[in-house]
Amino acid sequence: MSALLEVQRFSASYGSQPALRGITLDVQEHEIFGIIGPAGSGKTTFLRCVNRLNDLVSGFDVEGTIRFRRLDIYQRDVDLAVLRTKLGMVFAVPVPLPGTIFQNLLLGQRLHGTRTDARALAEKSLRAAYLWDEVKDRLETSAFALSGGQQQRLCLARTLMLEPEILLLDEPCSGLDPISTAKIEEALVELKRELTVILVTNNVMQASRIADRTAFFLQGRLVECGATQQIFVNPVEKETRDYVSGRFG
Amino acid sequence: MKRWIKFVGLGFTTLTGLASFLIVLMLAIILGNVAWHGWARLSWEFISGEPKVGMTEGGIFPAIFGTVALVLLMTLAVVPLGVAAAIYLHEYAGQDSKLVHLVRLALHNLAGVPAIVFGLFGLGFFIKFIGAGIDNALFAGQLAFGQPCILWAALTLAVLTLPTVVVATEEALRAVPRSYREVAYAAGATRWQVVRHIVLPQSVAGILTGTILAVSRGAGEVAPIMFTGAAYYLPYLPKKLNDQFMELGYHIYVMTTQSPDVEATKPILYATVLLLLVLTFALNFVAILVRSSIRRKLRAA
Repeated sequence: MSALLEVQRFSASYGSQPALRGITLDVQEHEIFGIIGPAGSGKTTFLRCVNRLNDLVSGFDVEGTIRFRRLDIYQRDVDLAVLRTKLGMVFAVPVPLPGTIFQNLLLGQRLHGTRTDARALAEKSLRAAYLWDEVKDRLETSAFALSGGQQQRLCLARTLMLEPEILLLDEPCSGLDPISTAKIEEALVELKRELTVILVTNNVMQASRIADRTAFFLQGRLVECGATQQIFVNPVEKETRDYVSGRFG
Repeated sequence: MKRWIKFVGLGFTTLTGLASFLIVLMLAIILGNVAWHGWARLSWEFISGEPKVGMTEGGIFPAIFGTVALVLLMTLAVVPLGVAAAIYLHEYAGQDSKLVHLVRLALHNLAGVPAIVFGLFGLGFFIKFIGAGIDNALFAGQLAFGQPCILWAALTLAVLTLPTVVVATEEALRAVPRSYREVAYAAGATRWQVVRHIVLPQSVAGILTGTILAVSRGAGEVAPIMFTGAAYYLPYLPKKLNDQFMELGYHIYVMTTQSPDVEATKPILYATVLLLLVLTFALNFVAILVRSSIRRKLRAA
């Protein structure tokens, strides 16, 4: 069986500035795939290549292939709207849109057509994001009234409303308190049964807690990729060992 | 040394304060003078009647009506065009493209062109070129649109106020956070959907600000409409797009320069100026009310 996401000799650059150099890895179905590395190592760029969000950046260029269910996503005739709903993204900073909590959840439906089971789907997504109990009585209030941690879980729920196959998480807990972080991590472990998670994180411990496999990026290269246990306990490369033991980064 | 610095500081504070005060003073003098002399002549008859006896008696309703109609027509023309142009410049065109630079350059220069030049442009382009063209094509050469009328005057004003609307709209578009757009794109939105669902709803207040500025500028300009549609005196109101019209600003100009009896016209002149100011403020005020109500709604949502 081939992997859900296959990345082969993938490079990317902003103008003349290379950001990723020859990344080769694959992501299996129903795993949490952690990506760790210091700031500027290309983690976020990689994530934004997977749903082609970097297409918006002028001067951005890629080489190599990324296959999602065997489909080369950088082919000319790929429908970006479909691709991006299948690869749902949650950003580093919570970005609630102006409007109520419920209106936020309906973003995808506003774009792709409404569904009759919107309420049920909203409840399911909020439950999956561990937010339902906190907001069930105030779905019609402003999303801005939520705390930062709640906002991020709302963003997670909003992305789940798209019913994605892969969740792309870009340091989703970077600005959150430990309790909110724990809730999101719990949610992700639960979600793994239904979908696949690619988790970019600055927090090495977070990867060690919940990732099944972990990749270590450094200066746009993939240094090492393997089972999380192995990466943290018995890394092959010296750079990985130095990073996970906190010697730099 | 210290005392000297203190003295300079004090002097500077006084000078800057005086300069600010002078601005308020000038506005107060203008408003006060106009209100003082104009107030007495203001009556329902004056507002609702038409000019009589060589404009030394009677009211100015045709001019009020013409001004409002002119500004509304201008707004209808300039807002869609300006907003569309701003959306193209900010959302669609590549920011480094030569075309965008050219358009921006054109806009800045357009903003610096004297109003009278717009008037001549309107005469030459709208009336002599477009209007006459329409007449030849649709009216078998008979005079219909190839003459000064409210449509061409409104379009001339629209060209004059276009930079204001474009710049204000672009400002509003720029204020929409990049993260909102990215969230929408990441949810599978097309560029048009991002504009329609995210960017435009967020910039309505800013677009209205541009409209307000355009309206208050347009309502006060005389030079652009002198050759393009404003009439010296008309016993009837404009009913069709190719009718001429009276306008408050132009009416003031006419009464000031061409009155057969300057002394008899003076009270009416003051009252007309007062009305023009009140009308402009009122248009502004309504637009500001609309804008703040939209802002409240956006914030409440």
